[in-house]
Amino acid sequence: MGRFLMGRVLLAVPTLLGVSLVVFVTVKLIPGDPVTALLGPSASAASRAELTARLGLDAPLPEQYVRWLGHALTGDLGVSIARQVPVVDVLGAALGNTVILALAAFVPVVVGGALLGAAGAAFPGRWPGRLCDGLATLAISAPQYAVALLLVAFVAVGTGALPPGGMYDAADPGGPGDLALHLVLPATAAALVPMGLTARMFRTAMAGLLDGEMVEHLRARGLPERVVLRHAAHNAAPALLTIGGLQLAYLVEGVVFVETIFSWPGLGQLLFTALSQRDLPVIQGGVLVVAVAFVGINLLVDAAHGLIDPRVRR
Amino acid sequence: MRLRVTALAGLLTLTLATVAACSAAKGGASPASSQTPGTGGTLVVGMTSTDLPNADTVLNGQGFEGKRFVGFQLYEGLTRYDLSKPEGVAPLTGALATSWTHSDDARTWTFELRQGVKFHDGTPFDADAVIANYDRYTKKGDPHATAALQAAAGEYAGSFASYRKIDDHHVEIVTKTPNGHLPDDVAHLYIASPTAFGKETPVGTGPFRFGSLVPGQRLELLPYKEHWRGAPKLDKLVLRPIPDPAARLAALRSGEVNWIEYPTPDDVTALKDGGFQVPTNGYDHLWYWILDTTKKPWSDVRVRRAANYAIDRESLARDLLRGTADPAYQAAPRATAAYDPAGDVYSHDPAKAKALLAEAGVPDGFETTVVVPTAGSGNLLPVPIAESLQRDLAQVGIKVTIKTIEWGTLLGQEASGKVPFGADAIAQSTTLFQSEALLPLFLGTDSPFWTGHYSNRKVDELLAKAAASPEQATRSASYREALGLVTQDAPWLFVVNDRNPRALSPQVKGLVQPQSWFLDLTTVTVTK
Repeated sequence: MGRFLMGRVLLAVPTLLGVSLVVFVTVKLIPGDPVTALLGPSASAASRAELTARLGLDAPLPEQYVRWLGHALTGDLGVSIARQVPVVDVLGAALGNTVILALAAFVPVVVGGALLGAAGAAFPGRWPGRLCDGLATLAISAPQYAVALLLVAFVAVGTGALPPGGMYDAADPGGPGDLALHLVLPATAAALVPMGLTARMFRTAMAGLLDGEMVEHLRARGLPERVVLRHAAHNAAPALLTIGGLQLAYLVEGVVFVETIFSWPGLGQLLFTALSQRDLPVIQGGVLVVAVAFVGINLLVDAAHGLIDPRVRR
Repeated sequence: MRLRVTALAGLLTLTLATVAACSAAKGGASPASSQTPGTGGTLVVGMTSTDLPNADTVLNGQGFEGKRFVGFQLYEGLTRYDLSKPEGVAPLTGALATSWTHSDDARTWTFELRQGVKFHDGTPFDADAVIANYDRYTKKGDPHATAALQAAAGEYAGSFASYRKIDDHHVEIVTKTPNGHLPDDVAHLYIASPTAFGKETPVGTGPFRFGSLVPGQRLELLPYKEHWRGAPKLDKLVLRPIPDPAARLAALRSGEVNWIEYPTPDDVTALKDGGFQVPTNGYDHLWYWILDTTKKPWSDVRVRRAANYAIDRESLARDLLRGTADPAYQAAPRATAAYDPAGDVYSHDPAKAKALLAEAGVPDGFETTVVVPTAGSGNLLPVPIAESLQRDLAQVGIKVTIKTIEWGTLLGQEASGKVPFGADAIAQSTTLFQSEALLPLFLGTDSPFWTGHYSNRKVDELLAKAAASPEQATRSASYREALGLVTQDAPWLFVVNDRNPRALSPQVKGLVQPQSWFLDLTTVTVTK
């Protein structure tokens, strides 16, 4: 197991290096220049040149990359142009908020996805199976943005039962209870698509097993259907883990719309803002963090996979 | 993505309108929850900005929303705008200075400082505090300064040649060239407590003091009871960034906030019907197209005037913008000292437009391209407005192709003197006189921005003459004359002046909406 893990970690290093290079080059390609963003259009040529030199922007690109990477490795991602505070602080807060939202959404993704998928596989062609298949398809096809708007309009504004946005009450912020209330709608909106996908994929995995020799063998031994299903579910668990891991990664990086509609101060909203402000250090740092999170989650999934399925370790 | 956002925002508007109709009995929002009876209440503002403004002095100004809600609430400069009246352009008055005098050449200015003022942390305000702040803003290598801070301050302190403390209650500023609007400039150069330089908590002398900050979420300001103009009435002022218009509207309707900036024009009627207040007033704002005056046929003044006669500004302001903007018939925005009612020359007259086009040798019209931002501070509904103008211009034969672009990209290009797609025009909005120090950015031969290569030496001279004169009357007269020439030259397609709409819950009382970008929040209360 140790060697397996070590191998995975070693493989992650070149992946991350590649990611950092792509991030650095891509951000350089965005139109707009940080010196103008920082000094404004009326700045003199002298002060522009001075700042360009101070930011190291006059150095050749490879040198800039190595310097940036060196700083990034020590946790220094520069200073946000728009906010004038260290990028690490801005990103840390936003990432924390996104993780809260992603974890809250992850619960219905896994639980709902597994239940819908299992039911779809267990009752193929019968009404409970069809209903669950239909629900999964509906969840996938409902546009996240529209669902978010409808939740705001009908649940938050219409009934007043739940807040329409933010993480805490604006006038009088409360504790975890307040946070939980504010999480319900955005987590629901964020969870639908990944939950549907999880259900579809889990259903396929389960169906494959239920049609396979193992289940035939179990049934031949006269085991009750309940026990057969449990065995099938156990064998489909690695698939669920893989799918779930992917969806968690998706939630961490992909909830821009939900964060925008619900004014959730997370990574998606931060990156969107940074792009419109040409806040290059924040864009670079943010994309890097997302990429690292993606690689990290996949690494964890691989590790867990190895833990529950000995075949993978070989 | 933005296109999708815009398209779907319509969906919410519809849905919200339905819900509002169904729940009309609610009579608007429930008040913000933390209200104690018999006090000034808690005002929660949903701002349009994408993030909370930086509370460190001059770093909050982008788009002026940060100055409005944070800068001018936490801090004061030597002068300030008197925002207590709705009529007339908000005049300049004393803040941390009680009076000022200038030398005959308008280069040496002496300010007498207000006595007995204390910063929020109890530090007494005096001439040393002024000098410490001006050092931080302008002195190379000042330990408390950053490049961004000095760049932001440079927009207003750029004319400083030197400054000194005369005694504890007097400071002198000498400018490089005569600067008649120096008193206006120093209003934007906030004086922070020198004890707070480099600290996390901002400390000024403004009517509100810092309460707490949750980055990206909320900034809480508290009334400064010892303020020299008297304590503000509110118990608490909470600012929240809610950049999405649909989310902002939902926050107001659900009672999460009790004040939002810029409700979209389509929502205004429904908001009023739901019992919300929608105060508006003119201010220094112009929505316009900058035409490339060096490209044929826009290089012919008759063609530019023809376009100005061809567009129906009244319908646009009434039907599309629902009265949240006034038609602009000339270069000077209404709520400025440069505005002269006699200068309103461009009525809707397609026949005259056609005659002018014929005179210019293009009787059948021509094809042209305009770059339009998809959104952006002060740009109202940029694409729908451009489409409305496109229809009007087609009536006289000017066939317009609209190319949309993200606002940040457009601004970046303009700032370096370029126009995207090689287009013939740019659609956008601007302020001209709210900060006179910034005027040369937007108008004049030497503007660093892309201004359609418009150049009229007489206009340059008049603007320079106005800027050099310390007498308000002389300045106003020269600005009027200069903008009159701009109106005649028509380097722009003058479209509308925004009326600065905001929506307030019925519980918010005491707001005076001045003819300004800024607001006095000391008179506002929130009732139960």
